Amino acid sequence: MKLRSLRYLTKEGLKNIWANRLMSLASIGVLVACMTLIGLAILLTANVNLAMRNLETQNVIMAYFNDRNSVLYDNATLSSDATASAQSGDVSAESGVSSENASASSSTSSDAQSATSSQFDRDNIPEDSYLIHNEEEARAVCDEIAKLDNVNSVEFISRDQALAEMEGTIDDDVLASLLNDENGNPMSHGARITMTDLSRFDETVAQIENVTGVYKVVSREDTAQQITMIKNGIGSAGIWIIAILLVIALVIVSNTIRVTMYNRKLEISIMKAVGATNWFIRFPFIIEGVALGLLSALISEGVVYFCYRVAVESFKSSPEFGGGIIRFSEMAWQLLGIFAAIGVLAGAVGSLIMISKYLRKEGSEFRAL
Amino acid sequence: MEESQEPIIEFKGVSKTYITGTHALRDVNVTINRGEFVFVVGASGAGKSTFMKLIMREEKANAGEIIVNHFHLNRMPKKQIPMLRRTMGIVFQDFRLIPNMTVFDNVAFAMHVTGAGNRTIRKEVSKALSRVGLGNKARSKPLELSGGEQQRVGLARALVNHPDLIIADEPTGNVDPNMSYEIVGLLSEINRRGTTILMVTHDHNLVRDFHHRVIMLEDGQIVADNAGGAIV
Repeated sequence: MKLRSLRYLTKEGLKNIWANRLMSLASIGVLVACMTLIGLAILLTANVNLAMRNLETQNVIMAYFNDRNSVLYDNATLSSDATASAQSGDVSAESGVSSENASASSSTSSDAQSATSSQFDRDNIPEDSYLIHNEEEARAVCDEIAKLDNVNSVEFISRDQALAEMEGTIDDDVLASLLNDENGNPMSHGARITMTDLSRFDETVAQIENVTGVYKVVSREDTAQQITMIKNGIGSAGIWIIAILLVIALVIVSNTIRVTMYNRKLEISIMKAVGATNWFIRFPFIIEGVALGLLSALISEGVVYFCYRVAVESFKSSPEFGGGIIRFSEMAWQLLGIFAAIGVLAGAVGSLIMISKYLRKEGSEFRAL
Repeated sequence: MEESQEPIIEFKGVSKTYITGTHALRDVNVTINRGEFVFVVGASGAGKSTFMKLIMREEKANAGEIIVNHFHLNRMPKKQIPMLRRTMGIVFQDFRLIPNMTVFDNVAFAMHVTGAGNRTIRKEVSKALSRVGLGNKARSKPLELSGGEQQRVGLARALVNHPDLIIADEPTGNVDPNMSYEIVGLLSEINRRGTTILMVTHDHNLVRDFHHRVIMLEDGQIVADNAGGAIV
């Protein structure tokens, strides 16, 4: 097709939008409604994903290091329930999890620690029976953990900090009895760890457990699983909603073009008679569909912006949503791109399907009036 | 202009039966040479429409061979049909003008299909409108014109691409008798300049008064043809 023919047909297609303005208006209206719903579904999914990501990063794993206290109190649990529960309570307080879950967590013992498990003398624990002898070595373990690819953050918690954090979260009497213990602060050095991707939870926990110097990992596996499940569920629901709305958009554009086509049967029959190729006949319809789609995309962007702004304004006052809302400007171009793609796709494919069907059947010959 | 002996339309043993079982044409053999003016006559259902449809490749023959302007219609791929139609101009009984377009645009429409440039379109459309006597009506809309004038716009549209062949399907069917003579007069004038004209009509007066070749169809067969002055 010659360039000047393309220019002529493009002009014709655009003129048709005005010539069939009522139908054009109707299809723009329905397309805008579809695109607005798609846009809002995308924004909702993005916001829920953001909230889930926040939850992911808040889902803290506690790693305790293999220092003197880890040997002292872990072996002590064999004979002293009180001390063990204090240790477990401490873990729970730090990680924000319950003691039942803490007890369900996995643990790893180093070779050095296992050497002491058979013979235990509280007053005389040999230095080579544990790996972390000072804060510097504990920080080095944190650095090793931070190197793992799914680890989002590692915060070193010293024994003293752990004890300070435990105050107020544990019964005063238990705390007093712990502090009166001849060995002093019963806490171990440790690290507060967050993950990037909770779907790799088990794998990452195993990796942390394998880091030399880590004695025990305490985590909330069930929460991780729930968050992953919700994330996946929202992801697939979003895809379904968008897919259904896309099909609706396609059907609407197809029908608009179909009505336009029947309105222009005379023109098509004359085109056929004077030797127009099928592409020559199709092109203005495709241009019309694409232009309607793009116009709808622009309007939808404005409508979604307005709706989102109203929604954000009403949620902003609620503390739960305060920090976790995606700003429209962050997704404005992405949304416009998606709308434009939907518009072009629905316009081009919808027109192409309809006009091809028409040319194959009723409009195949120019006498078919 | 003298008729040449070069055929523009050839039917060799052509038959057409529709899916419904109707035998529209049976073993038709006919040759129309370049530069001829031919009336096709016959009662309703005689096969006139099928005869024209086959020439325009709106229908395909079940048997036989049709050659139009060097296109072998039965062997021709579908994508060649537009090229075939660009070598002919078609005039319809019902004019087929687009009401919301001006007279000029209705004629120019046929040239846009061929990819002609705007300057050429302006020149050729003006020429075609002048030839049919509507040079001053270019800006009018079809519904502002009389039936005869509308048909002349249709004629200008058929002429504008300088076709070798004009197919006129009862062009006088919707106009008054005086205008009918005017239209056939115009077609005869176009024919004198070398364009082959094939015209379907029911109007015996026109056939009698304009001395051109007449092909008569009856029950799907050619029952009379005065080619070269002889009745076949």
